[in-house]
Amino acid sequence: MKPDRTAIEELVYRSCLALDAKNFKAYLDLCDSQFQYTITAHSPEIRKDMIWLEHDKAGMQLLFTNLPRHNSDHSPVTRHVTVYTVETDEAAQQATVVSALQVFRTTLDGGATELFAVGRYIDTVKTDAATPTLLKRVVKLDTRQFGFGYHIPF
Amino acid sequence: MSKSATQWNQQPKFPQSHFVDSRIYTDEQLFAEEREKIFNRCWIIACHESEVPNAYDYRTFYHPGGTPLIVVRGEDMRIRSFYNVCPHRGNTLLYDPVGNAKRITCIFHAWSFDTKGNCTDISREEQGFQKRFCKADAGLREVRAEVGFGGFVWVNTDDNACTLKEYIGESLDMLQENMSMPLEVFHYHKAVVDTNYKLWHDTNSEFYHDYMHYFNRVTGMLQPGYFDRKYTGYPNGHASVGSMEIKYDAYEGSKARGVGWPGLAPGGWILIDIFPGMTYNLRTSVLRMDTSIPLGPNKLLIEFRGLGLKSDTPEQRAERIRDHNMIWGPFGRNLHEDLLGVHGQGRAMHPGSEPTWVLHGREENMTIHDEGGMRHFYAEWSRRMGRKAYDPYGDRKASAAA
Repeated sequence: MKPDRTAIEELVYRSCLALDAKNFKAYLDLCDSQFQYTITAHSPEIRKDMIWLEHDKAGMQLLFTNLPRHNSDHSPVTRHVTVYTVETDEAAQQATVVSALQVFRTTLDGGATELFAVGRYIDTVKTDAATPTLLKRVVKLDTRQFGFGYHIPF
Repeated sequence: MSKSATQWNQQPKFPQSHFVDSRIYTDEQLFAEEREKIFNRCWIIACHESEVPNAYDYRTFYHPGGTPLIVVRGEDMRIRSFYNVCPHRGNTLLYDPVGNAKRITCIFHAWSFDTKGNCTDISREEQGFQKRFCKADAGLREVRAEVGFGGFVWVNTDDNACTLKEYIGESLDMLQENMSMPLEVFHYHKAVVDTNYKLWHDTNSEFYHDYMHYFNRVTGMLQPGYFDRKYTGYPNGHASVGSMEIKYDAYEGSKARGVGWPGLAPGGWILIDIFPGMTYNLRTSVLRMDTSIPLGPNKLLIEFRGLGLKSDTPEQRAERIRDHNMIWGPFGRNLHEDLLGVHGQGRAMHPGSEPTWVLHGREENMTIHDEGGMRHFYAEWSRRMGRKAYDPYGDRKASAAA
């Protein structure tokens, strides 16, 4: 069965909608049991690729459970994604999906919106079932300065 | 009971060393003075030697005194520092944060310099300057640079300052064994926050704010030995906090750290604040270094570095990175909380806001929730500034009495 590009794109978009809404259960429901999540960035200053966050599905679940125990900025963020390419591997029943990512932060007080981060999603999507699932997400950030920061991953 | 304006302005009933006037965090004039009297007089960390590993490698650095610098490793493998300013027309010489340049050539008029600061070429020199000015007159302004105390590159723009060794004194002795092996930076990022640099250093100088950190409460504050950690003050405003055993597995999803650090007890944690804005933070498996670069009285750039051992295996390095990310990474549990804290102070005490008193009054025999670390900093600040931190303009007593 040839994977449906529209369904794959919708998976990526739904993952953003779920995280934007802080609906962590819905987000994890889109992920395969073998899901791996990584945030990376390259630092020209130290000439190195860096890993900023790395979790499996259980680790993401734990992160989402722990976050309410911490003090955090409560401004909502909005993930805007455009799926650029979908390369399918029918034999492996997977697809590699590259998307542009922009994250906007909107202040609670007044509602001013600022561009918070840009980068890319590089997703591996499992296509062996009727509904595709996220097997792996690498968030490759271009932005490396976040002011006072944020707790919830992009 | 809430306070009236008069009551709000009354001097706290503490010794004058136990509170400061909030104008020291917001005032433009004081900030200009700090650049001159503190940042341009003290030794400052510009980068780590592992960031310029090869001959001709350079690193640019925005010095908190206000002058952009170059740190460059010469052909002789010695690290030197110069103003990143062309002596011709004041242009920036090197634009990228890092690179490798046998010759440093200004893009404006192609004047060239070697890694010892000598001018090696002035385009059309004789035609323009005849014999009135030559390459020997056009060297770069060299800044004192020394490598030490964990392989960091320290710079001092004051040609007459004491040596780095004299400046540090005994303050880093506690880390001597831990920094006996070559280190390497594996993490670097910057944060710009609307706050004052001293407020960030305060956060690194007191642990009472562990109440803000869920992670620190469960892995530290609730564990034996936490309240025994002691502050020690050293000359030149530096201060240290002794170690304890952190119980990392008390936080759900965290576990006892396996990789450790040479000379440090399992779960150990040593923190040393270097005046005016650098912090060595060795927490079990990772050394974190914060460098404060104030951009204004209420704007601060902080450089965050995470370091491991140069001899790390890939597995050890990966473990250090995981440990680092959990609490100190840009998405880590503690860093966002700390930054949120000083951002909140910056919001409340911005330039032009009504001066208030900021209390450093806790006394607990110099143990972990004592505020003696901050008091030690402000004693040095007052000495260098020639001003009292509790009354920087000498008008507080009068206004309090009015």
